[in-house]
Amino acid sequence: MSSDTEVGSGADGAVALAVVSHSAQIAAGAAQLAAQVAGGRAPVVGIGGAVDGALGTDGERVLHELRALAARGPVVVLVDIGSSLLAVRAALARLGAGARARTLLADAPLVEGAVAAAVAAAAGADAEQVRDAAEEARGAVKL
Amino acid sequence: MRSSSERVAEAHARLPEGVTLHARPAGALVLEASRFDAEVAVTIGERRANAKSILEVLSLGACGGAEVRVTASGQDAAQAVARLAEVLPQLR
Repeated sequence: MSSDTEVGSGADGAVALAVVSHSAQIAAGAAQLAAQVAGGRAPVVGIGGAVDGALGTDGERVLHELRALAARGPVVVLVDIGSSLLAVRAALARLGAGARARTLLADAPLVEGAVAAAVAAAAGADAEQVRDAAEEARGAVKL
Repeated sequence: MRSSSERVAEAHARLPEGVTLHARPAGALVLEASRFDAEVAVTIGERRANAKSILEVLSLGACGGAEVRVTASGQDAAQAVARLAEVLPQLR
């Protein structure tokens, strides 16, 4: 099952987001939510699930998607747990130096971080600001 | 002495009836606020949020018809509060 979904589109040079999860549904749903809150003005790609569509990560697909995004401009990556991070790190190691330099990892909760990052990207923030917006979600108070 | 870059401004607006400040309208509000250099806050009752922070605005849990106080400080504070007071009643 191919689950890569890109929702929303940014202006030229807008920071793109990649949401990497063990679950295709989580990746697609978080990407969809983040893009909607951002008014469809931030490109957000969900990358989730293993090769056979089961829970897991597909390192080749993560690499393929990150390479495609980084070829267009700066990218901020959010991951859920464990091997999603390993897959992203392995992909980063295989990217060219330029693409790797344009790709930032955010240490952030997946859903809240993606929402905050997408709004920042839609507002025209640069990659470091978008990553910081995602990471600020760690301290966000909900109630 | 207050310099011209420390201008403050305030305005009030009301959310449309039936429009809660949930994901999409909250995002629209934050994107408008983000166009200004001024620090902008929205306050509903006792709860105050940075108008440029989507997660803070969402945490307000503002309901339709709520009275919103918009405050700003910075060089374009007046424009920021005027614009948000214009946008808030039009959210959907």
